[in-house]
Amino acid sequence: MTAALAIRAAVPWWLRSNAALAGVIVLIGIVYGIGASVSDRFLTLANLLNVIEQTTDLALVSIGQTLTVLAGGIDLSVGSLISLASCLTSGLINGNPDRVVPVVIAVLLLGTLVGLVNAGLVVTLRVHPLIVTLGMGAILQGVTLLYALGPVGRVPRGFSFLAYGRIAGLPVGATLAVTLCMLIALLLRYLPLGRQVYALGDDANSARLVGLRRGRILMLVHGCSGFCCAATGLYLAARFGVGQPYTGVNYTLASITPVVLGGTVLSGGRGGVVGTLFGAFLMSLLNNLLNFMDVSKHYQLVAQALIIILAVSIYVERRRME
Amino acid sequence: MLTLEGISKSFPGVRALAGVNLEVGLGEIHGLLGENGAGKSTLIKIIAGALAPDEGDMIFAGAPARWSSPREAKLAGVHVVYQEFALFPQLSVAENVFLGSERRNRFGLIDHARTRREAGALLARLGVSLDVSATVASLSVADQQMVEIARAMTRNVRLLILDEPTAVIAGREVALLFERLRRLREDGVSVLFISHRLDEVFALCDRVTVLKDGRHVGTHETGDVTRSRLISMMVGRDLGDLFPPRREVARMREPVLRTERVAIGDRVQDISIELYAGEIVALAGMVGAGRTELALGLFGAMPLAKGAIHIDGARFTSMSPAKAIRLGMGLVTEDRKSQGLALLLDVAANITGPALAEVTRRGLVDRELEAAIAAREIERYRIGCRGPATAVATMSGGNQQKVIVARWARICRTVLILDEPTRGIDVGAKAEIYRIMRELAAAGVAILMITSELTEVIGMADRVIVMREGRITGEMPGSAATEEAIMHLATSERAA
Repeated sequence: MTAALAIRAAVPWWLRSNAALAGVIVLIGIVYGIGASVSDRFLTLANLLNVIEQTTDLALVSIGQTLTVLAGGIDLSVGSLISLASCLTSGLINGNPDRVVPVVIAVLLLGTLVGLVNAGLVVTLRVHPLIVTLGMGAILQGVTLLYALGPVGRVPRGFSFLAYGRIAGLPVGATLAVTLCMLIALLLRYLPLGRQVYALGDDANSARLVGLRRGRILMLVHGCSGFCCAATGLYLAARFGVGQPYTGVNYTLASITPVVLGGTVLSGGRGGVVGTLFGAFLMSLLNNLLNFMDVSKHYQLVAQALIIILAVSIYVERRRME
Repeated sequence: MLTLEGISKSFPGVRALAGVNLEVGLGEIHGLLGENGAGKSTLIKIIAGALAPDEGDMIFAGAPARWSSPREAKLAGVHVVYQEFALFPQLSVAENVFLGSERRNRFGLIDHARTRREAGALLARLGVSLDVSATVASLSVADQQMVEIARAMTRNVRLLILDEPTAVIAGREVALLFERLRRLREDGVSVLFISHRLDEVFALCDRVTVLKDGRHVGTHETGDVTRSRLISMMVGRDLGDLFPPRREVARMREPVLRTERVAIGDRVQDISIELYAGEIVALAGMVGAGRTELALGLFGAMPLAKGAIHIDGARFTSMSPAKAIRLGMGLVTEDRKSQGLALLLDVAANITGPALAEVTRRGLVDRELEAAIAAREIERYRIGCRGPATAVATMSGGNQQKVIVARWARICRTVLILDEPTRGIDVGAKAEIYRIMRELAAAGVAILMITSELTEVIGMADRVIVMREGRITGEMPGSAATEEAIMHLATSERAA
């Protein structure tokens, strides 16, 4: 008993709320083990940085998604919002370096606003976030297609630095994503509203009886999710040099895998963004491994699906043991 | 402190409160007594802002109060400790205590060290010492209750409402709770104490108000009223009318169900019981003693960890609900809404639920046959509804319960388990449920009834089995059962 307490006290808080984190790290180790036997290039620093760079987009969306899941909800509008953000970014900048700063700010604000509208609809219409964000996703996809039916605009060379640049050897986009993740982890930990995100996800009825303001909590999580989607859109525009109206489609479901792998419980109330970051890294690493093994992209999708189902079943088993 | 005048509230199919008056003084412990279904829970939800009254006025601390949410009531100083608690099991004790009034540093951020320190201090003032970093899920029910009370004290609590606080805790813990409530009274806090246990009301309360069937029956100083007077106010009729007469049953030689050192989950251990055709056996014990787990295990809804179940002489080491139903068993669950009824479906579909094959013709459900069966059951059990096509959600709790009992009574041949079959239903419906149980027993079904109502145990049981902490602690014939004897077996602590 005391030993257990001592062990727990020795673990930093951001690990403690993420018991499943250990699981992800073990899985990452396994993938590395397999990778090392497949190719000697797998274990190099260059490949590690490469994988980290490729994790950026998935990590960004999933960090936002983690918040909505923690609060007991979900955000299914992320894919469309990413598409819209990427189209607006390249369409509005359209090669003009002077427009980069105002457009980036505008896109981030728009993403946040979309999230706030999602939260507002959930609260005022008393509709489950699943439905509200599904509808919002369809609306945003429609708006995106009204704006651009195909690749639109272009971004200046300098903007691509966000996707391909390195500062002190570190990929710029990924560093920003990690920074954002740490910031959100701190907000969840130290903001009263952050704590209440967990409470709402843990037991919505208790939250009401205790007098928590659900509207504010939902605005925080959906606002953050919208912001993260906008950031993902910016990143993708920088990576491809152009915005595309369907660029975000796959992210809606893909964003949930790292959340679950990282130990956030789908019903809410337990988990955290740090785990999600590792979950996203695991997914990229796995794709990287499959690339090394010359497995086709299509099988990679299958592998992803199997992993999420396996992960959830393991967690279900674990809960039953508790 | 609090005055209610003419409060009324109706739900679809039931009038929960009809013109209730209540007055709680400053620094008074006021008891609220009533049978299950008398409207106590509805009343406190209204006081707490979780429900809005249809009619009536509420005055709190000298000002008219019309709260649109629990939040507003809290800000005014009304705190409720609900029977089912409003806790966050995955969060820590300290986080639960200060949820919504987080301890902050000068930057407005959560001060975790201060949160833990002050939570510890608050709990210490209540005379509890807990690991404030532990999750609430890991605490005992009594400690969880203390976390709730500590949370109420973090704000300017002026009226503390406790909904059946003693339903979940045992002897010594009850005494501690009372001592703490008296301490709060000295600090000028008003307490509204809901219970249906008379001894507790006399031990603790200054005044007591009795509700019956949603009406205000009377308010008395506890010093001026007798126990029997309160009982007749609460029940409004003799127990003799409530419970159908007992019949002598000739015990069969072989039990219809026998368990062989069964263990279920990690708490229910070493259960060996026998049930005989035609008898009603009450399974008594405190909430959390493992009775529900045992019921679920017997019915196959929780896996058997150890042991075996014999039914009609056949031995089973694993069970599933489908198998149990084939063997003629039935289970009326504790929570009819989430584990029993399909609320949005109609009465007919709910009655034929587990016997769908019977109403299926050429692969399709024969709705007419289904309705005919339902109509017969509605008639037989006097289920109050417009007809087989009535949606169950619109019916009163008592009638909903009759639907479930009818469902199982129709197809049950061997053993029927009823978990808290009369919780939250009115006295009339209770009497009906009791009558149905007797009829089924007379028809040769063995009935296992889990109940926390001791009057029910004594009024109905041919035999009483008592559980505590996952084990059987005793057994007695129904004719010899007394409240004292049952409570002793249900609560006595191993080594105090």
